[in-house]
Amino acid sequence: MSAQLEISNLHKRFGGLVAVKSVSFDLKPGEVVGLLGPNGSGKTTVMNMISGALPCDGGSVRVGGKDVTALKPHKVSKHGVARTFQLVRPLPTLTVGENVLLSVAYSRKPKWGRAAQAIVDEKLEFVGLAGRGDEKVTNLNYIDQKRMEMARALAAEPEILLLDEWLAGLNPSELRIGIDLVQHLQGQGMTILLVEHIMEAVRALCSRCIVMSAGEKIAEGPSAEVLQDPVVIKAYLGDDHA
Amino acid sequence: MKTSIAFALAFTALALLAVAPLILPEYWTGVLLGMTGYVTLATAWALFSGPTRYVSLATVAFFGVGAYTVAVLNEVLPYPLVLLCAAGIGMIMALVVGLSTLRLAGVYFVIFTFGLAELVRQTVSWWEVNVTYTMGRYVFLPFEGHHIYWQLLALAAITFLIAWAIGRSRIGLALKALGDDETVAAHAGIDVTRIKLFLFVVSSTIITLVGAIQAPRWTYIEPSIVFNPTVSFMTLIMALLGGAMRLWGPLVGAVPLFLLFEWLSGRFPDHFSIILGALFILIVFVMPNGVLAKIDDLRKGRQS
Ligand SMILES: Nc1ncnc2c1ncn2[C@@H]1O[C@H](COP(=O)(O)OP(=O)(O)OP(=O)(O)O)[C@@H](O)[C@H]1O
Ligand SMILES: [Mg+2]
Repeated sequence: MSAQLEISNLHKRFGGLVAVKSVSFDLKPGEVVGLLGPNGSGKTTVMNMISGALPCDGGSVRVGGKDVTALKPHKVSKHGVARTFQLVRPLPTLTVGENVLLSVAYSRKPKWGRAAQAIVDEKLEFVGLAGRGDEKVTNLNYIDQKRMEMARALAAEPEILLLDEWLAGLNPSELRIGIDLVQHLQGQGMTILLVEHIMEAVRALCSRCIVMSAGEKIAEGPSAEVLQDPVVIKAYLGDDHA
Repeated sequence: MKTSIAFALAFTALALLAVAPLILPEYWTGVLLGMTGYVTLATAWALFSGPTRYVSLATVAFFGVGAYTVAVLNEVLPYPLVLLCAAGIGMIMALVVGLSTLRLAGVYFVIFTFGLAELVRQTVSWWEVNVTYTMGRYVFLPFEGHHIYWQLLALAAITFLIAWAIGRSRIGLALKALGDDETVAAHAGIDVTRIKLFLFVVSSTIITLVGAIQAPRWTYIEPSIVFNPTVSFMTLIMALLGGAMRLWGPLVGAVPLFLLFEWLSGRFPDHFSIILGALFILIVFVMPNGVLAKIDDLRKGRQS
């Protein structure tokens, strides 16, 4: 089958710093792939270029065969790409339900009124926030804010989901719930690119991994193999451990 | 049910206000007129600046252009067409200004809009002196105070209707969202620039019309009168006092402040701008979200 997400030779500079250096990879439909790498290796920057949050300095992003490289985020989202943010970004003026409603109202098949509310309720229930739509987002604790952000991303009915450390900062039981949720999406055939530092989650979720270091892709392959790769271990832990 | 009661109340209030000039002495019609003008300005201002948090000081640029359009065209075209022209000019100006500035963030936007008002005033002055050789124009329209007041009242009602409709629509939701976080709004599928531009144009067109409708009141018009920056500041303070994020906020701020300003500018004409500045600082520090939000907070505080 052809690739759902195709990234080739992606490039990004911040002043003198090259944050992403000709990175290429593909995601097939329904695949859950991990994007790993030490802090500052350029993972979030790659996601930002896919979602349109940052312009690329070179290379291209294709979604379902269509070139979305130069598109703004609102256009990219119309191609079925949704994301969460590394630091949760709830909209505090809106209620929990309105945060989700926003995505429904501006998705590819926009809905408003009762039809929209049905989707909002469904997504809130899916992430475990059933009946809490009228609450203020400031009342939510950390994991619930993360859940809400997931519901907001899913409400657009995307085909590709970009999760930037969505599981970070959760305690062990919350982590279990989070992993189950992503597995559930996987079961529904969602294509997911997952930036993650928690190896337990990566092993449980990702059939395949891509590893970045200092802006470059240094490894790619089945998770078990990649995580044993001396080059990867060296990138994570430094020379002494290789 | 609640909505229909609110509408019935609003309609009754509107009807009472409309018959007021037939009962009240002339002086009070004048006060009501000025007040309705500012209620409309503040509500229109908050339509854009409230949710987006783009603080605009360009109010008087549009207000003045409206008034000047009437001054220039009142003897050439029938009055309804003059108003239409004013609205059209305001709309085009808002489009141009919006396209070139809505990418500016925060304080740059404030400064730009303040500069814009000054630029428009200077340009009009220069044009009148060097091209048309007129400094000051007369507006001859057969309107008395209450005629102008009724027009403003109608415009105010329309403005509230627009604000109410937007607040309930998905555009209203998008506006609140992009005021919180433009990046998130954009990722949710919102064309941020287009929505801001749309609201800026709607808001500015209404403001232009307020200027146009009020023009006959002056009889004699010159740039320093209709492009007085105090108009921008007063509009801003009124909307902030009541709360720019709520439908009725600007009204709640505009009514008492207009009366206060009337009294102050009569009593202390020389110190008026100092008082205005002090009041502004006070509002921003004591209740940055406005009186209505403050009352809500206090009420909640007592309950818990
Ligand atoms: N907007 C920006 N302006 C300047 N430099 C940036 C910007 N965003 C990221 N960088 C830099 O680019 C490099 C890559 O950052 P990025 O956030 O993509 O890393 P990351 O792999 O997501 O790291 P982490 O695991 O800590 O989230 C870092 O050195 C970072 O400081
Ligand atoms: Mg990151």
